Amino acid sequence: MSERTTPERGSAPDPATSLGDTIAGGWDDRGDELPPADWGRSSSSRRTGTVWLFALFITAMAVAHAWLTDDLTGQAFLAWATIFTAISFQALPFLVFGVALSAALVAFVPTSAYQRFIPSRPGRAVPVAGVSGALLPGCECASVPIAGSLIKRGVAPAAALTFLLAAPSINPIVMIATAVAFAGQPEMILARFAASLLASVVIGWVWVRFGRADWLRLPSRTHAPNASKWEVFRESMVHDMMHAGGYLVVGALAAATLNVMVPREWLMAVAEAPVISVLVLALLAILLSICSEADAFVAVSLTDFSPTAKLAFMVIGPIVDLKLIAMQAGVFGWRFVARFVPICLVVGLLSTFLIGGILL
Amino acid sequence: MNRIAQGLTLVLLGAAALTSTVPTDLYLNWVKPGFGPFLIAAGVVMVLLGVLVIVAELRGGDQALDQEDVVPSGAAAAGDDGPARSELDHAAAEYAGHTGDGHGHDHERAPGVAWLLLLPVLAVFVVAPPALGSYTVESTGGSSGPPPRDENGSSRFTDNLSEAAPGEVVELDVQQFVMRAWVDEERELADREVELTGFAVPTEDGEGWYLARLQMACCAADAVVNKVLITDHPAPEADTWWKVRGTWVEPEGELYDASEHEIDTSSVEAVTDPPDPYE
Repeated sequence: MSERTTPERGSAPDPATSLGDTIAGGWDDRGDELPPADWGRSSSSRRTGTVWLFALFITAMAVAHAWLTDDLTGQAFLAWATIFTAISFQALPFLVFGVALSAALVAFVPTSAYQRFIPSRPGRAVPVAGVSGALLPGCECASVPIAGSLIKRGVAPAAALTFLLAAPSINPIVMIATAVAFAGQPEMILARFAASLLASVVIGWVWVRFGRADWLRLPSRTHAPNASKWEVFRESMVHDMMHAGGYLVVGALAAATLNVMVPREWLMAVAEAPVISVLVLALLAILLSICSEADAFVAVSLTDFSPTAKLAFMVIGPIVDLKLIAMQAGVFGWRFVARFVPICLVVGLLSTFLIGGILL
Repeated sequence: MNRIAQGLTLVLLGAAALTSTVPTDLYLNWVKPGFGPFLIAAGVVMVLLGVLVIVAELRGGDQALDQEDVVPSGAAAAGDDGPARSELDHAAAEYAGHTGDGHGHDHERAPGVAWLLLLPVLAVFVVAPPALGSYTVESTGGSSGPPPRDENGSSRFTDNLSEAAPGEVVELDVQQFVMRAWVDEERELADREVELTGFAVPTEDGEGWYLARLQMACCAADAVVNKVLITDHPAPEADTWWKVRGTWVEPEGELYDASEHEIDTSSVEAVTDPPDPYE
């Protein structure tokens, strides 16, 4: 019974879903999944429980929408909710397409293709990966799952990590955004490119030298051996959405809270001190978790700070921030994050001071 | 989180993205208008994916699920079942480490953190967050306006003040006005009648009020406050929208030292909320 009704639902999902449709959809789902064909088996009763849970959730949302929405007037809460939603929805398309691309890499590109393009010696693969980061547009939300799938396809972890850092830092969209924000300051654009690329490649080499394979946890996937490529695609996409997506929300929660709670005056107070101001903007970049495509506009608005401090904001932001840490933890595990993030921070800062000292 | 829950979460999240873009303009409160198509595409992809997952699960996931039910999630450390891995996952296995942190079988199950994906859904359908407004302007406090971008002369101004005929009322963004007032050493803004649209924000000391607008580079998280002081018109209620005509009050001394930019109003008109609250 359910076999006969569900494909219809699958073939005609209504893209113009409104709240009403969502609620109705939820009830439809429940209706479809009730048929007691294989009733009584633990898995199906659990499924039914899940469906009931969601039906309840949707009903509760509808009730809350009708009764509660107009009463939510706390200004601080609404500002927080706006920023949380903004960060989530801003990152969502990048996440979806990053996940789709990484799933496509897993499902459709044979392992041999990577071995042909990326040198097998990690030391040489790292710079190649760094430069190829400059080609693929995408923000940090997209690059985490892509790096995960690169490692799974046999690319040296150090090279994949370099790509993970370089892609959001120096991709074409980010460089154009930086050029728009810092119009008339080509040295800033050059400094950003140089410092980010340098940091990514050095971190890759550090990982080649000191990194240990067992720090990285990659979920092993036991696809049925006869699974079609499309099934593999679907499975890895859902898997990455659930892992990276959940942590993206964690990062958005943290960033929105800090965005609302930390007064800007605190920042201005330290803007004068030379080294401290650089560290403060690096910290701010970590806490705010602004998408790398937007951070140049924020950096340029921090007028009281020195150019090197602004550079630190743009170099550190794409390689270390709350949202990214949470997503990396989701894909690679906390053991990895505890080692990788400090390396990124130290190398990123050194690279900022070096390039900033030369160019700015 | 089982497969049905994952599928339904994806459908709901996709529905939230679509609801805020297609039937409503809610998304303009959070991101740039140009972002709409991407959100729609992402929403469609998520709804489709969620439906596919549910369909696949209902059709044939039984065996996998049953198998999993036997293994308690905490005991996944025991799942170091090397030979069972396919050739394809050889590389993954090498780096997997497989520390048994509760989702060894994550082919089927998602970690608990994935439930958080329902938070944006709640935010959209229950809270429906409004655009940032006077609260944000007040709490960002002193610093007003964007910085000078460079010192290249007036060619960098992207507004239409230079092209407008003398005597014509020039419509400017609040951001463009502030930029001119702050860094245009040629003072082209002087004695020109301009029209600005923004929302009302009370001043801290209660003298006059600000006409403010938030400038957004990417999403509401990076919104920058721009505001213009008005003292010759009684302060309206906070967060109401107004269209103001008037002329710039030239500061004495250096432009760059001015902490606030003031306008002499000739008319103040109420407007209904503009569709895009940001500049």
